[in-house]
Amino acid sequence: MSKKFKVSICSGTTCYVLGGAQMMVLEDCLPADIKDEVEVVGSSCLQKCHEPNAKPPFVLINDYLMESASMTKVIDYIREHR
Amino acid sequence: MNYINNAAIIKRQVMVRLAKLILDDTIQDNIDLIPVLMTPKNSESVRCCIHHDRAVVRSRVKVLLGFAAASESQSDEVKLLKDYAADAVQKGEDKFDESILTVIDDACSACIRSKYQVTNACRGCVARPCIMNCPKKAIRFEGGHAIIDENLCVSCGICEKVCPYHAIVYQPIPCEEACPVNAISKDEFGKEKIDPQKCVYCGKCMLACPFGAIMERSEMFDVLRDIKDPGKTTVAMVAPSIAGQFNTDFGKVVSALKKMGFDKVVEVAYGADITAQKETEEFVERLEHKESFMTSSCCPAYVQVVKKHIPSIQSYVSTTLSPMIYTGEWVSNQWPGATRVFIGPCVAKRFEARESTYVDNVMTYEELGSIFIAAGVDVVECDEQEPDKSASSVGRGFAVSGGVANAVIASAASCGVKAVSKPVNGINNKTVSLLRVLDKTIKEPAFVEVMTCEGGCLNGPGVTSSPVIAKKFLEKMLK
Ligand code: FES
Repeated sequence: MSKKFKVSICSGTTCYVLGGAQMMVLEDCLPADIKDEVEVVGSSCLQKCHEPNAKPPFVLINDYLMESASMTKVIDYIREHR
Repeated sequence: MNYINNAAIIKRQVMVRLAKLILDDTIQDNIDLIPVLMTPKNSESVRCCIHHDRAVVRSRVKVLLGFAAASESQSDEVKLLKDYAADAVQKGEDKFDESILTVIDDACSACIRSKYQVTNACRGCVARPCIMNCPKKAIRFEGGHAIIDENLCVSCGICEKVCPYHAIVYQPIPCEEACPVNAISKDEFGKEKIDPQKCVYCGKCMLACPFGAIMERSEMFDVLRDIKDPGKTTVAMVAPSIAGQFNTDFGKVVSALKKMGFDKVVEVAYGADITAQKETEEFVERLEHKESFMTSSCCPAYVQVVKKHIPSIQSYVSTTLSPMIYTGEWVSNQWPGATRVFIGPCVAKRFEARESTYVDNVMTYEELGSIFIAAGVDVVECDEQEPDKSASSVGRGFAVSGGVANAVIASAASCGVKAVSKPVNGINNKTVSLLRVLDKTIKEPAFVEVMTCEGGCLNGPGVTSSPVIAKKFLEKMLK
């Protein structure tokens, strides 16, 4: 069965260095209430960092692209949209 | 713990912007725009207003050019960043002095001096044990509440203990709390100052400050200048803790470094192999001469702790040189005249490098990552490449606590010398006290590995990856 949310964390160098690194442990930090609905994968550069005024780190949650992403922002988003 | 936070990210954003200007050769035209671009008009300010934020960014740029944050004169206050950049070219290495960590006064929020505060849980009771018991008469009553006079308070904590309502709380000053050797304290204006006589360059205050007010004086400007100079050979000497710093295998980092402009890439673990061998020989010899123990010497902050604070154990510290120095020596013979850049997670290595003739500059992984971004190099997309000098798993193991001790004790055992390992994993107030009495407490032949950062270099102040991730990659490299 596929899970409801697929979270792709950009681990291209730009995102990784500017805050993405800390999200690499997202999978282990998911709260119990949403844990079973979320699949976490790493992704190579999502090509968003090259745009002017880009706000890395980027995370893709299904089709939604989140900028200036953080662990809490991702968790909040999922709670709101489940 | 070295967790990532907003203050660290902002610092890296400034690094990326500056690195970009250096690489594009537009520093003279654009450097003074960095504070404005970082906090554009109508953006939300972190501090009182965007002008304050900009002033802090300006200081950050100055520190990234290699200067101390404090202004020396009134004219420094209005000096343009482009003039600092011109100075940085002119002065080169001469701009560096003993101070490595510097406090940005504008960013230091001057945490309250007293470490105890009365909360509004104070009932203004009749008993008033806080006032009765304060040895400094620092507490008075106003408007039905106890108030602590921060100029009189000596933070003894008695009021907190005696308050029946638990209305008085302990509120630490993060940088002072983090410093293992009491090297940072307030000046008469309430701003933090680092005492260069006491500072061991561990970088713990820098990580602890929630305002990002403490920074290390960067050498990235000097490194990039040499990289851009076609007449110079530049050698990246990469510490073993590089494992996993960019969430990739080391081979990719090697090609990223070359793409970015380094001519050669060398593993410092090669020097660690030499250190391990020489340190074992030294250890065996010392034990044969009936010395009871020896401590490691590869952690430069620990070396400073002993030198500045615990001279009584100086004679027990190994005199074997560090992996960085042996590597630098090898590089100097291999490519005479080359610029030798140590890349690692460490603040204290900057000091060690300055004292040595075998290393020119030091950069952290954080700075390296920012330069990769500025140069448009994505490490993940690079192919794997072999370094110009590689090493064994013994040397690579130096990146984690236990690595040095295991290497030395195992090879001493193969020479028939038995010893136990008594590691000191992390320098803090407690372990400093332990080290003070080390010569009186160790009874059996022992090797004492001391790492200033808990867990070892993988948990150093300049890392980009969480130690959990880095460790996974390192384990792969050790196979
Ligand atoms: S590195 Fe994340 S979008 Fe490019």
